[in-house]
Amino acid sequence: MDAADFVNLLVSALLLAGIYAAMSVGMTIIYGVMKIVNLAHAGFLMLGAYYVLELHERLNIDPLVGSVLAFPVFLLAGMLVHWTLVKRIPVSDQPTLASLLLMFGLWLVLQNIGYLIWGSSDRSILTSRTLSSMHLGPITIPTVRVIVFIPAVCSLGLLEFVLRKTWYGRAVRALMQNRYAGRLAGIPVEKMARLTFGVGIGFAGAAGGLLAQLYSFSPDFGHGFLLRSFVIIVLGGLESFWGAAAGALVLALVETFSILVLPAGYQPAIAFSLLVLALVLLPGGIAGIFAKKHRWA
Amino acid sequence: MRAASTQMGRFLNYRVAGWGTLLIVLGILPWFGISSNLTRLLFTALVWIIASVAWNLLGGVTGQVSFGFAVFYGLGAYAAAMGINGGLHPLAAFTISGLVAALASIFIGLPTFRLRGPYFAIATIGVSEAVRVVMTNLSFTGGASGYRIAEHGRFRPLEHYYTALGFSAVAVVISAWIHESKFGLSLQAVREDEEAAADIGVNPLKAKLMVHLLAATLTGIAGGVYARYAAYIHPQGVFGFHTSVAILLMPIIGGAGTVAGPVIGGFVYGLVQEELVAAFPQFHLLLYGALLIVIILFEPRGVTGWLGRLRGFIERIWRKSATASVG
Repeated sequence: MDAADFVNLLVSALLLAGIYAAMSVGMTIIYGVMKIVNLAHAGFLMLGAYYVLELHERLNIDPLVGSVLAFPVFLLAGMLVHWTLVKRIPVSDQPTLASLLLMFGLWLVLQNIGYLIWGSSDRSILTSRTLSSMHLGPITIPTVRVIVFIPAVCSLGLLEFVLRKTWYGRAVRALMQNRYAGRLAGIPVEKMARLTFGVGIGFAGAAGGLLAQLYSFSPDFGHGFLLRSFVIIVLGGLESFWGAAAGALVLALVETFSILVLPAGYQPAIAFSLLVLALVLLPGGIAGIFAKKHRWA
Repeated sequence: MRAASTQMGRFLNYRVAGWGTLLIVLGILPWFGISSNLTRLLFTALVWIIASVAWNLLGGVTGQVSFGFAVFYGLGAYAAAMGINGGLHPLAAFTISGLVAALASIFIGLPTFRLRGPYFAIATIGVSEAVRVVMTNLSFTGGASGYRIAEHGRFRPLEHYYTALGFSAVAVVISAWIHESKFGLSLQAVREDEEAAADIGVNPLKAKLMVHLLAATLTGIAGGVYARYAAYIHPQGVFGFHTSVAILLMPIIGGAGTVAGPVIGGFVYGLVQEELVAAFPQFHLLLYGALLIVIILFEPRGVTGWLGRLRGFIERIWRKSATASVG
């Protein structure tokens, strides 16, 4: 492998990491505030993909704009799900099996609604930029990866700004650190939980729209990405925003560079093996290695 | 004390009588000229019941929800398939299925049981997906194109049926014993509170590993029985995520943590599933997903819970009318 190949792989890993981070951040924020492992994340990624597809095919709206438009729609959908289902299970400081199975049931429902509406064949979104690529000297980058990377990173930056600078963000971070202290300080926990669930689902929908521009999809679409999101948030220490970004980078690097040592058929197993290893060996995530006590929110 | 023990004895007798009747009915049913299609459906249901009862030992009684039982089901299927192709007697092949799955349960259990609750559940998704990918690429098992079993002689559906019936009866007896035994109590203690269980002298890791091994053995045998019947298996089927999901849904819908629940769940899934798939291809899991949501929100004991409520309701009406007629 020469230097150009190495840089090529590195660039594609970095671009992949941006998408991965945007994909997993919705799960992180829901876990952080509510301690719910959102298995339905996969279902909303899938719905986001089809939402963008329908907008593109029916109204000829650019998939990038469609992804942005997905956010408010999925935000409302998420708040509705919280209002009808999630708030009925007992609140807990620890993630519970009841919430896990509830979200799993919701995933099954969403997935099969997908089958009902769109059938089981693979779909993809084709635009003029799908097959073009950019050349920077010896480095070749698919254009669509860059175009998807930019909104992914911008949305993360926007979320980080909201979490740091607004009342809502400070409340969310307070609830991530200590739910009861947050309640004592006057944070309306129920309302914040509903809004946060909406934001998490909104990110899932938008990320689904972005992923749909890179990969073909079917109603079973979110499955592999759900597990990748788990790997990322577990690597990131489950409730840390920057940890999740670091986790996305680690997963993207490992997946991209593993192509050098493993046959391509085994590649999907990497994320799953990494998931088990991370859960067992790194309970605090990457952030936990650097700071045992201090929490990054 | 004596009254309590006779009451207990009577209760047990009723249950033994109920299960015995069910076993006899299922045993003589094929002699009444039921269609070959119904025999096939009952066979499928019985195989699912073995796996469902097995899952319940770990997921229901011990509270460790696993999304990874397809690993044991698939390993059992492949082990039996290779054993039969190698000239082994089917029962010897099923024994190997159980042993292989049991061995796998230790390798999976040792690292993953360090995790609690949902983390364990997620880790099992990872394990089962990794195993599926490996099996899809492994050359000596035929990889993604699957594995065919060449068994000589006529195809005898009843032999398969009685094999499945026998193993599911064994599974139910084991499950009933665990629900009554001290071992079962220690498992329930682990489910309710691991620290408290450890304080009263239960070794949680050991208890979980043992019940995991038992459940994996039964699931492996179920996979073996299925493989011999199907004569063709492939990784996307026996190792597929939907197999894990089926094995998880049946006991939860029937009633996790009970003896009868997983059996009811397996029957319902085995008999209804095909009709649903035929009527609504790709769409059948919608119903199960919705059912799962309703069960989690309203009735954690599933169908057995609803049956219990129904019985309480009927008994109240009966008592009311009895007192009314006396008054």
